[in-house]
Amino acid sequence: MINYIKSENYRLLHKKNLYITSVICLLLIVVAAVVLHYSQQQDPNFPYATSMFLYSNIIGSGVLIIIVGFLFNLALTGKDTSLIKQSVSFGVSRNTIFWSKLILTLSYYLLICVVGLLLMIVLGESILASEKQSVKNFLIASVNMVPIVLSGFFIIHVLRMLRISEIYIIIMLLFLFIFSGDLLRILFRPITGFNELYKYAPSTLLNENLMSFFDQAAQFNYNYWVTGIVISIVSLLIGARKFAKLNID
Amino acid sequence: MDTIIQTYQLKKTFKEVEIIKPLDFSLRKGEICALIGKNGAGKSTFFKMLAGQLMPTEGDIHFFGKSGKEMTQSRKRMGFMIETPEFFPDFTATQNLEYFRIQRGVVEKKRIYEVLQIVDLANQQKKRFKDYSMGMKQRLGIALCLLSSPDCLVLDEPINGLDAKGIIEIRKLLLKLNQEKQITILVSSHILTELQLLATRFVFIKNGVIVDDLSKEDLDEKSKKQIQLKVDDTAKAAQLLGRAYNDIQFKILPNHIITIQNHVEAGGEINRLLIDNGVLVMEFRMEALNLEEYFLELVEGNEK
Repeated sequence: MINYIKSENYRLLHKKNLYITSVICLLLIVVAAVVLHYSQQQDPNFPYATSMFLYSNIIGSGVLIIIVGFLFNLALTGKDTSLIKQSVSFGVSRNTIFWSKLILTLSYYLLICVVGLLLMIVLGESILASEKQSVKNFLIASVNMVPIVLSGFFIIHVLRMLRISEIYIIIMLLFLFIFSGDLLRILFRPITGFNELYKYAPSTLLNENLMSFFDQAAQFNYNYWVTGIVISIVSLLIGARKFAKLNID
Repeated sequence: MDTIIQTYQLKKTFKEVEIIKPLDFSLRKGEICALIGKNGAGKSTFFKMLAGQLMPTEGDIHFFGKSGKEMTQSRKRMGFMIETPEFFPDFTATQNLEYFRIQRGVVEKKRIYEVLQIVDLANQQKKRFKDYSMGMKQRLGIALCLLSSPDCLVLDEPINGLDAKGIIEIRKLLLKLNQEKQITILVSSHILTELQLLATRFVFIKNGVIVDDLSKEDLDEKSKKQIQLKVDDTAKAAQLLGRAYNDIQFKILPNHIITIQNHVEAGGEINRLLIDNGVLVMEFRMEALNLEEYFLELVEGNEK
């Protein structure tokens, strides 16, 4: 497994896509902060040149961050999955491939997320008007988002490894992270015991997190972790199991 | 003789269609075995199951006498090139091989240069894979197979898309690997004349079933198709042959030529029969089929 991870790391570091995607992500953050800053310079009454508003763009964009994760995965793996068959032929087990690729893409994704988060705080606190406890609120809301965003990343990895087409992956993500709450509420409303299930849906939790952030009342909530962990474990186990039996040609 | 590959009742079904019917096959150390069959006969499916790319529906595969997880580990002693070799298009040959060198835990970095030299790509190592010609891509595929010094190569269509020069180069390379490094080879190709020059064993597959399995000597013997005689008196010769063998099939051709289609194994007796009875045999020839003709007769002859 170590050899496989090392080889994948060699591949990633020698690909331009890793650097291009990372730079684009970080550049977007810088551009957003600079635009808010200059808007306020132009119009002193511009109300959105605050760190709170900048942070809310992240907290309110859970789905967008997952889509970025998808693009990141796409950029890092691309058509390279066709080389998996070579590795299988030479005795690398499917399990090794599945988990190694996940570990590596996740590591780079987390790295870019952390750098992005820090960059955001630095920009928010230095060039925009900062409000009291906005960083603390932002960090708590971000921590709440982590399990949901990661579950999305795991689903992307699983679907990519199972060679599901990109369009289906996007539909699946949109359904799970935008419409799942409404659907569960409608479906289980008449069933006692299940009528509260929608509260654990990723889309409901992401909305709730944003609301608490706007109210400056973000609090660590285990519900996010329960939902995130359940989705992650279920998707990864199903994915690893199916990938182990997948015909690769 | 050591067995490198052994399959037991190996079967592959796609959507209830049996692509490979329960198949027993063994490859012995030192052989160059050609797997021959028409498109759709099941060659690539069989190779892909050996390579672990397709999961068998039933049956078992042993490499070097090992099965299960040990067999998967034994794949490290083998080199597979199934259909077109896949590499990272933007990587150079060296970068591509470096990726696999790390993956396979080949310690010595210089091994990359060694295998590139073996396949005559050492002077093209800085070129990106996407800029390679078809022949160069095939050779790089073989270089990848050789990277971890395998005991056995499994090559599906290794000369696909190559020009005449490229085909000869690959043939020479494979013969060299077999003779000098004692690498066992299982190979398939549509260019049967090439296989005839290369292989020491021929396995014919049709509709997922092995229909014939011959050594080179067996093939030479079996493919003896007919006896051609040139005699001074065809009428007398025909009379003698008809009397000696009730079911004999022969044709009388112009220029005093007789061709005999059966009783080929009795060539010597026929010759003596004619001479002893005063027929002058001016020419006696045992005509053999080449691999292509033998294959067509075996596969298409059975279909008629």
